[in-house]
Amino acid sequence: MQIREVVSSLTFRYIVKYMMVLSAAVFLVLGAFYLYFSYTSFKALGDNVVDELDTLQLVYRGQGLEGVDQYIADQTALPSVNRFYYLVTDATGAKVAGDLPAAPRYQEFDDGWLGFEMDVQNWGKAVDVDFVALPAALGDGYRAMVASDYADIEERAQLVFQTLFRVMIVTLILGIIGGFFSAARALDQVEQLNQEISRIVRGEPGQRIKIDGEAGYFRALAMVMNQMLEQMETLMQGVRRVSDNIAHDLRTPLTRMRNDLSQLRNRKTPVEGAQLEGLIEECDDLLSTFNALLRISALESGSPLASGAEVDLSALLHDVVELYEPIAHERDITLLVEVPSSQKCRGEADLLVQMFANILDNALKYTPEKGCIRVNLCTGLNGAGHKVTISDSGPGIPAVERKNVFRRFYRVESSRTEHPGHGLGLSLVQAIAQYHNGTVALGSNNPGLQVRVELP
Amino acid sequence: MNVLLVEDDKQVGDFIVSELREAGHSCVHCHDGEGGHQAAIDASFDVMVIDRMMPRMDGLTLINTLREAGDYTPVLVLSALGDVDDRVQGLQCGADDYLVKPFAMAELLARLEVLYRRVKVPAADEPTKLTVADLTMDLLRQHVQRDETVISLQPREYKLLEYLMRHAGQVVTRAMLLEHVWGYHFDPQTNVIDVHISRLRQKIDKDFEHPLLSTVRGAGYRLGAEIDG
Repeated sequence: MQIREVVSSLTFRYIVKYMMVLSAAVFLVLGAFYLYFSYTSFKALGDNVVDELDTLQLVYRGQGLEGVDQYIADQTALPSVNRFYYLVTDATGAKVAGDLPAAPRYQEFDDGWLGFEMDVQNWGKAVDVDFVALPAALGDGYRAMVASDYADIEERAQLVFQTLFRVMIVTLILGIIGGFFSAARALDQVEQLNQEISRIVRGEPGQRIKIDGEAGYFRALAMVMNQMLEQMETLMQGVRRVSDNIAHDLRTPLTRMRNDLSQLRNRKTPVEGAQLEGLIEECDDLLSTFNALLRISALESGSPLASGAEVDLSALLHDVVELYEPIAHERDITLLVEVPSSQKCRGEADLLVQMFANILDNALKYTPEKGCIRVNLCTGLNGAGHKVTISDSGPGIPAVERKNVFRRFYRVESSRTEHPGHGLGLSLVQAIAQYHNGTVALGSNNPGLQVRVELP
Repeated sequence: MNVLLVEDDKQVGDFIVSELREAGHSCVHCHDGEGGHQAAIDASFDVMVIDRMMPRMDGLTLINTLREAGDYTPVLVLSALGDVDDRVQGLQCGADDYLVKPFAMAELLARLEVLYRRVKVPAADEPTKLTVADLTMDLLRQHVQRDETVISLQPREYKLLEYLMRHAGQVVTRAMLLEHVWGYHFDPQTNVIDVHISRLRQKIDKDFEHPLLSTVRGAGYRLGAEIDG
């Protein structure tokens, strides 16, 4: 697995982009947090300073300058790092009490607060520390100022910020590494799938993609692809079977014709008309087989009929029955017609006639003498849906064979020798029924065959 | 008759020409639509056989052009396009008949003959009586008789005989009978028409010395006392 390949993969790029957006978001949150933290800390500090000034004012009012001096001395004696610093001046500005220098270089803020830097002894070391201070009048011209350093706040804020920032960096790095590995894994699976498919494409249509590993998209994909392969194989087999059948069913008459022709060529005596007629008939049979095949293909490959002209189904069925009646009569077969009058459906009359003629023709072929054929039409309520049933008293078709007889060139073994035909009649019936958005099904007439055609 | 054949397939074209000449007709063969158009303007023909898919102007355009120019010579379209829609399209644009390839020459000849007669003998007045030899059909009374014998026919048999009598002396194919007597265009697979014909024959020929309804091998049937040219 090439690193460049992984880095340029969609998954990796997606993850990197995601991490970048995430970092920006985290950074913004971090900034907001830092600002909030600083603000609250400074606010607390300020409040404390104001409180301390109030205390000083109270002490002055109660005990005068000496009390203040005493209070400041007490406070500064406390061994605290975060203690307050004081300065008390008289009206002239001279220092009276406190531990701040009389006039440090103040930096004045808008709201009366002052800021300055001062060295503070911290465990024996002089440290340059930032202070904030607030002056206030004590009374009698005396002024007091309370100051506090804020180095610890700065320190804490920085600590929080740095920690969060480092965590973010680590997250980012871990994320990118994780992205790299998941991209590599996805690529690996795609690559595997690729290889499997190209292996199958290269000529092993019976093969399937191996389905292993945990459930996931790739497993689902592999399963769908296997289904697709299954369907393709079925189709291919279907095509092969049809072409095998064509080869078989057309080769026989063609070979026979060829033999007859070469016999005629070798004969010394003049050619007899009857022999030529036989050959022409054979040719016509072949042509009609081809025509039937082409019609079936045309019907099957085209989209179904959207809306045909209105056809009087009852009249059409009567016409078909009437057309075949003489054949039935010749063989003493009773034709029962149970068709209510003027039932209309939509379709193409020529095709519908062809369909019912094929079914009736089959029924007549297989029904023995003195048998009976029934043609029945049932129409649903309000003329919705027609069901045409043509039942005969012939030998019927065994249940296992019923699906097969719709296949092109398929012929029930026993009928191959007894009855002529090219084995396309029922295929055409099915193609026409489906073209009309209908169905055709075979059933038993106990005994005999029942063909049910349902049309919308 | 004088036939104009517009067909781009050389083999099919040559075959039709030789068969037509054999049958005693004269024939001009053009290999594309424009050539056919020119030939139709230059000379007058009795019937035309036009292929649909051809280089430089397809068959239907050619027919349209001819019809718009006032040329109403009967046209038979000969095409590999055999769907119902194709047929309807062909007939709508002015063709008189439509034959799908592959076809039998006998079928083509029979159909051309019918087209030719229709023009040659215009049915100015709808006849009330059809007569073929000693067989007569009274169209008004729907009454058929041969010599002195009254023949009773079923409605379909009557229609069948009427069609045969209207085309007496001509070869009528099974497909033509199905189309015109039954009104459907399909392939009946079995010899169902033959059975109807033999029934009719039973009624009109059985007790008479000279049969009128004869079978033309490889083509169809012909009604008439003697074979005329």
